[in-house]
Amino acid sequence: MIAAGTILLDRPCVPVARPGAPLVVRRAPFYQEGVKLMAIEPEAREAAEAMAHYCRGDAKAFHKLYGLLAARILAYLTGLLGDKAAAEDALQLTFLKVHEARSTYVLGANPIPWIYTIAHRTALDEIRKRKRSRVRVAKEAELPAEPAAHITGVAADQHADPAGRSDDTADPSAAAGALAALAQLPENQRQALILTKVHGRSIADAALITGSTPGAIKQRAHRAYVTLRQLLGRKEVA
Amino acid sequence: MSGGGNDFDDRVLGRATGVDAPPPPPSAELLRAVESTKPVRTRTRFGAAAVVALVGLVGPAIVLVHGPLRRDLAGLPAAWLIAAVALWGSAFALSLASAMIPRRGDVLPAPSRASMVAMAAMVVVALFALLVTVDVPGQSMLPAERGWTLFESCVHCIGTVAKVAVVILIAGLIALRRLVPVGGSRVGMALGAAGGALGGLLLVFICPFASTAHVVLGHVVGMVLAAIAGALLMFRK
Repeated sequence: MIAAGTILLDRPCVPVARPGAPLVVRRAPFYQEGVKLMAIEPEAREAAEAMAHYCRGDAKAFHKLYGLLAARILAYLTGLLGDKAAAEDALQLTFLKVHEARSTYVLGANPIPWIYTIAHRTALDEIRKRKRSRVRVAKEAELPAEPAAHITGVAADQHADPAGRSDDTADPSAAAGALAALAQLPENQRQALILTKVHGRSIADAALITGSTPGAIKQRAHRAYVTLRQLLGRKEVA
Repeated sequence: MSGGGNDFDDRVLGRATGVDAPPPPPSAELLRAVESTKPVRTRTRFGAAAVVALVGLVGPAIVLVHGPLRRDLAGLPAAWLIAAVALWGSAFALSLASAMIPRRGDVLPAPSRASMVAMAAMVVVALFALLVTVDVPGQSMLPAERGWTLFESCVHCIGTVAKVAVVILIAGLIALRRLVPVGGSRVGMALGAAGGALGGLLLVFICPFASTAHVVLGHVVGMVLAAIAGALLMFRK
């Protein structure tokens, strides 16, 4: 079992699950925990430069920033919301909030955890909104359950992987099952798991993004991982 | 160290959440906002904290200059006075810094660090008040250890702490508006603790009561209440 607090990606800025490429995680020495690796990474520097230009009024820099971060922010929001359409709306809202809050940016700082935090808040607001509206609908009448949809928006039973990959990761039912299993996790465990395991954020970053403590993030990520393995019908690998 | 099973799960998770999916283009609303963008003045790491500290210090400074100081001030041991000022002052400065100053390379203050520093500050001043409160025989006022007199003296000092803390809280809330999307209650707790510590620092010079019970229940509890108020004010579900 990998200790949640010691996971670092070989290239932490690159989305973890690249098509066709296995996730590479390694156990980092404990003295690296909490070290701000992002600050020295080229991608973080690139994002910081784009953000600085954007704050100086350069609209092109926004597009660069969007190109750098939108995919992973969308993936994070999809993981939290479990619904791609809602995640895409939340992505637009997140970048709108970034635009509105750009005066609070500290020049030279790594904007990536900050933008993740804004996305996190946006997703939380969306989840709260859904909970409230769910109560209202339930009072009106019993509605029939919607058919399950794949992440692509196509109905799960009609979805076929365009890449035609034959390994089990390309199996749409596995992805749909994973998303369903993710949705069953408690909200805070899901956040911790997605940030640390799927997005490769450091424990310190994940704590900053969720407004929690590093200890709580480690514990939640571990619990989520164990639960997820049980839900997916797998035995924990020691 | 990664087993094959871990790789499988992480890849499936990544695929499920769509990390390899292309994002949609920016919406029309977003593009409109971006196209009309103008240069903005960005925040500095220390600027807001410095402003809040200065605003918060104005009131206590006026009180110290114009108001009556405690009558046993001259008789207090210098070492104790220095230690008390250093402790309450550090509690103020560190709590405020943790609530408002992001770590180098970060944009946001870290909520976990803020709450940890605030808790530590409250524990340290509570221990100091419990163990090292001194009085000057014949000069210090010692309210009864229990009863109405003690209660009244404590309420008076909690009121003083509240007046000092509210300025820090309001200034801090204005400085932090829209800045803390998550962990607001932790940051608010640190901000409140900073205000409470500044109130406690002021009371070192003006409060005439020197009993342990009074300092703990009046000064330290005042700081704790300010921290709770800050946490509640910045609480966001």
